[in-house]
Amino acid sequence: MPRMKKETAEWATVLSRLLLGAVFLHASFDKIADPGAFAKAVYNYQMLPDSTVNLVAVTLPWIELLLGVCLIAGFWLPGTTILCTGLLILFVSAMAYNEIRGLDVHCGCFSTEPAEGPDGFPPLIRDSLFIVVSGFLTARVFFSRRMTLKRANR
Amino acid sequence: MKSYAKKSEWPDVVNGRGVPIRKAVWQIPALLVLAVIAGIGTNAWRSDGIPLVGDWSAAARFSDTAGESIAIPLERAADQFEKGTALFLDARPPGQYAEGHIRGALNLPWQGVDMYFMALADRLGQSEMLVTYCDGESCELSHELALFLKEMGYGNVHVLINGWTVWQHAGLPVEQEQ
Repeated sequence: MPRMKKETAEWATVLSRLLLGAVFLHASFDKIADPGAFAKAVYNYQMLPDSTVNLVAVTLPWIELLLGVCLIAGFWLPGTTILCTGLLILFVSAMAYNEIRGLDVHCGCFSTEPAEGPDGFPPLIRDSLFIVVSGFLTARVFFSRRMTLKRANR
Repeated sequence: MKSYAKKSEWPDVVNGRGVPIRKAVWQIPALLVLAVIAGIGTNAWRSDGIPLVGDWSAAARFSDTAGESIAIPLERAADQFEKGTALFLDARPPGQYAEGHIRGALNLPWQGVDMYFMALADRLGQSEMLVTYCDGESCELSHELALFLKEMGYGNVHVLINGWTVWQHAGLPVEQEQ
């Protein structure tokens, strides 16, 4: 890779890490602050068995918080980037599924406040963009390390 | 090139320890376990924690401040409707009410309830029973409205869960705003 291009890629990697980290941190705060309200948001998706709703509502925000911290700190990136991409794909699928079956629920993405009213397509598009960023980051973490491996085996 | 006496001295990347996918294999469960411990731990410790297995039955979701269920089955609501003993209150916004509602129901939108309530207070008092409804299993408007009415001193208030949908499906009388 030419020197300039490599530097650009590295900058893009750091930027995506910080952006995605901030997004995950921001997403976790409201949910951790009000577990009861977030449990209601999870319930409203009507995708999980009733008995697992609260467990997911209690742990999911902490997964987001941990991922946010790891992304920003650049810590445990292989595991973190795969989990981030996987989670985002899960969120988008859940939203799209409810959109298709005509269930008008608030996504509960960044706020547990239902007064914001039901969400339509914008959160879907926004989260899809996050998937692109997260996918790029995952590829970078795995791809650029493999370059190191090749060099080491030379 | 540097040579190594033992395999264990090889750089991480060569014997696989440094390969990202191998790291991911233990990091993913480690992150999940940490999150579960942190989540369950803080939930147990905080004063507003929630039970790990919640009761999401309709009766539990639609209860008053004392924990009593205020949900009313459709058959009972329809029975009260026929006898004319219940006043139905549509908690949805005026636009949706105008498109169609239970016949004879009054519109008492939860958004702006204080204003609408003042205008209707007298009529609510004349009825034996009040039944609030909105649309959708997860619609909370009717529940909020019922709790508000209870607080305002009306004793016999009930919620018809997913009211607009179940009422129509049962073929019970509806009307539209002219």
